[in-house]
Amino acid sequence: MSMGGLRRQFGLTLLLVVVTVVLSMLLATRGHSGLVLAATASIFIVSVSVLRTPGLRERHPVVSRAALTVSVIDASLVATYFFSATTNFDLATGAAMSIVLLGLSFLTGASGQISLGNSAFMGVGAFAMAIWANHHATTPIVISLFIAIVSGALVGLLLGLPATRLRGPYLAGMTLAFAVAFGAILSSFNSWTGGDGGLQLPTAATPPHWVTGLFSSGTSLLTSNTMWLADITILATGVAFFFMANLFASRTGRAMRLIRDNDVAAELVGVSLPRTRVIAFVVSSSYAALGGALWTLINNSVSPSTYSFALSITILSLVVIGGIGTIPGALIGGVIYAYSTSVISWITNQTGLNPQGNFASQLNGIIFGVLLILTMLFAPMGISGAVLHRWRQRRANSQG
Amino acid sequence: MDPFLTSRIVSDVLSGLTNGVIYGLVALSLVLVWRSTGILNFAQGAMPMFATYLGMGLLSYHLSYWPCVAIAIVAGFAIGGLTERVLVRGLYGKPEINPIVVMVGFLIVLEGVAAAIWSTLPRGLPSPFSSIDWQLGGKPIAMSDFTVYEIVTALIVMTAVAMLFRFTKLGLQLRASALAPEVSRLLGVRVGRMLTIGWMLSTAVGTITTILVASNFFTGLTPQVMDGIFAFGFIAAAVGGLDSPVGAIVAGVGIGIILQFVGDYLNSNAIILVALAILIVSLMVRPNGLFSKSTARRV
Amino acid sequence: MSITRKRRLITAGTAFMLSIGVVTAASSVVGAGAATSTPGVTKTQITIGATVPLTGIASAGYSDVAKAANAVFNYVNSKGGVNGRKIRFIMKDDCYGTPGFGCTGNPNVVAQTHALLAVPVFATVGSLGTPTQDAVRSLLKSNGVPQLFVNSGSRDWNNPGTYPGLFGWQTSYNEEGKVFAQYIKATYPSDNVCYLGQGDDFGADGLAGLVAGGISPFDTQFYSVGSLVATQGASIAPYIAKFQADKCTVAVLDTIPGATDAVLGAALKLGYSPHWIISSVGSDPVTVDAPFASAPFPDPEIGAVSFSYLPASTSTSPWVPWMMKVLGKDTKDFPGFSSTSTITGNMAYGVGWGVAFVEALKAAGKTFTRASFLKTLTSTTFTQTPSLTPLRYTKSDHQGLNGGYLTTIISSTKTQTLTGKIVTTDSTSTGPVVPATKKSSGIPSWLK
Repeated sequence: MSMGGLRRQFGLTLLLVVVTVVLSMLLATRGHSGLVLAATASIFIVSVSVLRTPGLRERHPVVSRAALTVSVIDASLVATYFFSATTNFDLATGAAMSIVLLGLSFLTGASGQISLGNSAFMGVGAFAMAIWANHHATTPIVISLFIAIVSGALVGLLLGLPATRLRGPYLAGMTLAFAVAFGAILSSFNSWTGGDGGLQLPTAATPPHWVTGLFSSGTSLLTSNTMWLADITILATGVAFFFMANLFASRTGRAMRLIRDNDVAAELVGVSLPRTRVIAFVVSSSYAALGGALWTLINNSVSPSTYSFALSITILSLVVIGGIGTIPGALIGGVIYAYSTSVISWITNQTGLNPQGNFASQLNGIIFGVLLILTMLFAPMGISGAVLHRWRQRRANSQG
Repeated sequence: MDPFLTSRIVSDVLSGLTNGVIYGLVALSLVLVWRSTGILNFAQGAMPMFATYLGMGLLSYHLSYWPCVAIAIVAGFAIGGLTERVLVRGLYGKPEINPIVVMVGFLIVLEGVAAAIWSTLPRGLPSPFSSIDWQLGGKPIAMSDFTVYEIVTALIVMTAVAMLFRFTKLGLQLRASALAPEVSRLLGVRVGRMLTIGWMLSTAVGTITTILVASNFFTGLTPQVMDGIFAFGFIAAAVGGLDSPVGAIVAGVGIGIILQFVGDYLNSNAIILVALAILIVSLMVRPNGLFSKSTARRV
Repeated sequence: MSITRKRRLITAGTAFMLSIGVVTAASSVVGAGAATSTPGVTKTQITIGATVPLTGIASAGYSDVAKAANAVFNYVNSKGGVNGRKIRFIMKDDCYGTPGFGCTGNPNVVAQTHALLAVPVFATVGSLGTPTQDAVRSLLKSNGVPQLFVNSGSRDWNNPGTYPGLFGWQTSYNEEGKVFAQYIKATYPSDNVCYLGQGDDFGADGLAGLVAGGISPFDTQFYSVGSLVATQGASIAPYIAKFQADKCTVAVLDTIPGATDAVLGAALKLGYSPHWIISSVGSDPVTVDAPFASAPFPDPEIGAVSFSYLPASTSTSPWVPWMMKVLGKDTKDFPGFSSTSTITGNMAYGVGWGVAFVEALKAAGKTFTRASFLKTLTSTTFTQTPSLTPLRYTKSDHQGLNGGYLTTIISSTKTQTLTGKIVTTDSTSTGPVVPATKKSSGIPSWLK
């Protein structure tokens, strides 16, 4: 793009920002809500216009990804203001799950390793968050989340080191054993983990005044609290996805894909197999821990029964169905997770089945299992893989 | 002699042995499938469970015990064969993750369908032999008619499988198909059929195991009955070596006895923790299993 | 996608976002006023909800509890409701907070509670489970929603200082333990007593009650529910072997039905038959006998002693036929319930707190707020409910029932009162177990 064109774009952006700020200040009645609106809209405009700069993607891919992340996060944050508490709650739960899915997707798709233990890593993060909060109630949320991530990374390292030498089924089995044993591990440290009942967070995460002030005075606490939790989760999800996109495109990411496709060739080229495998494993466990910690935050509590082996199977199913090794796949999986129960109860209602009867209570499992089998047999790249494939084909056709 | 036989240590050894032969049988089924088709069958507990329900469910139609067992075993053969033909055929040569995911999906479907048809309430199976422990001088020995029946049945099955592989033409063909499929084909062996038979045998062995397990009267038959046992059986197979039938049985019995002591002298949490530790340590020492003949890839 | 198309999309998206921003700003001018009436209450209806295990691991048996209460509400609605209001009871399936095992609901009790708050409900009434209800105490409190008649005997619900809107209903585990202690002292004064309890406050409170009542068990063991499920009951066998080696002739069990089954099975195998004393939580014969139904020997639970704060199924209380009538009328929740069906302990439990709520609603009057309803609860004594002793809360005591009688299991479906003597006590460690002076008296005319 010419210098003149770039200057034109910059000028247009500046104009739009000024107009938005003025409009916001004029229209908003409550003092600071105008500021918030102005800030939000301006950030969106700026990031979108950065994104629109031609050639950015090729020359400065990191900036391009950052701009995309910022604009999506910004739009989502605004959206949460309008959503009901229930929607925000489901959205937050699904977003946290998509972080976990992204981690496993990366491990499997990018480096070819299979892990059935991500429910346990989620549990590590979830309990780390709760245990820390119960002993140090005033730690800022960002620090607590970071502590949870580090805990997940450490446990991932502990498990990942012996795992480097293991072939597929043995690694799967070892992670399975860990997932199954996790409940017993929690139980052994009863005094820290609260036994069967789990732990509650000492104080609920409440939004600061400037956020609560955005709502009219009659709005229930539930609405503003849930919006705040959803916002935190969305921010965390955005950062996690941004980091992963960069990792995927980096040299480490390329090395991992090389190992997945042909580990002998990778060795020949000089890639250190054990080190790369361990990095992938640790990244995956850290992401799972972040997801678990966010769940603790959202629910204000943590319960050992949540992080059972059944959850690991759910995670695996979602990754496969969403699409192994792709970023949109993880998002699709998160959406499916958030809404699958509602969809299935809708199906149950439509077909007139007794919702507590034998058949209906197993429908969730049966549908997931069948989807898993069919996906793996006929569309191993999952939904996003299939869509991407068709999109590429159409592009090749239109250009050919 | 009496105090010795009823002592805590001997009781634990005997109970551990009883559990151990079950783990050994599960591990053996896994090895059968792995050696013949190179696939780790995550549904190794669920497929026989379904066959057991099919057979033993006929009890409510007033069929007597042994015919139901026979039907269950036949169902086991059928399910194993069908699974290989329909599901597994398309998975040979694909990336390692594919068969694992498909079998996990199959596991979920089987448990779901079983629960949909027969519900998750435990169903007591009548036992042909009493489960009440023998008493010696007023104290119980950890042996009952039923545990003897379990151990004897397990030994018979293991011996039968061993004899099949070693002394029969079918066994030779099975081993050849697994080891060198192309050569076997040239020599006239129906390799595809051998693979199917491998799965059929494995599921049939699994069905016998499931019936033994579910006949424990306070457990009963549920769709999840083999879940925990599959985990321990898998650990035994991994420790012994997925390609070693002898390793599977030895590891199974060993783990059964060790875990029984752990459960008795420590607590029930420690059982799965020690099992996990055994698995990790053994895989670190010999990543392909203790009794495996192949050496690990040196990375 | 070509470059221009992408740009056009982005521009369109921007315009869309800007317009949303303007709309937001504009809408902030029109502020919504707060609802001044009581949430969940209209002139003709009151909406309440509960999170209960309708499917999943704890559902066998427990799913009947809320359904039985629903049967009571349906019956009352068919007679015109309470003070002109019909009761709308929303049951949300939380699978006892445990995923798997056929759970079709959402095994996240926080999510399900959010869903109830969104309706909105006047209060949660009859939610089940100690860990699940502990997890939502602060959520409900911060939203000002009363948490009534929690189905659990934990002492966590008796904390009026921190949770003024939180109320239990059943006799606590602690009090039950004291009643057992009195019975053991009188009947088996010189026997070795062994105790097996659940590894959470169910076991801890029950043991504390036993000890407070003067019994120090020779051997005390705790089991974890997680191990129980993972090993399908086998993890309990070593404990029973220990009890046998200890020569305990009396065994007290604070166990859930699944654990009771594991204990009885292990004991059978070992040829060990002490006098069983089993908590009301895990003694219902219909549930406990299910795995032994096809066994060639009689139900091993027969002869065990338990405790009940509701009339035994064989009792002559007028509430029993009333329950049969009400449950039989609710064909949706109890299809096929007829005059020959048995009322299980779970059903009686649900009817118990269902009636309690209905009577509290009547006592609250035609107009009430959440605050005035709670005041009614703490200032009224409900003497005409199915429970054996009256239901009474005070400003400083939100526990609920505080008495009952000993029962014995006489068949695989029926229980019978052991002595017929109703006793009460309190949850302190020194309060004695005494014969109840106030007993429940019949069915109010407007409920008949």
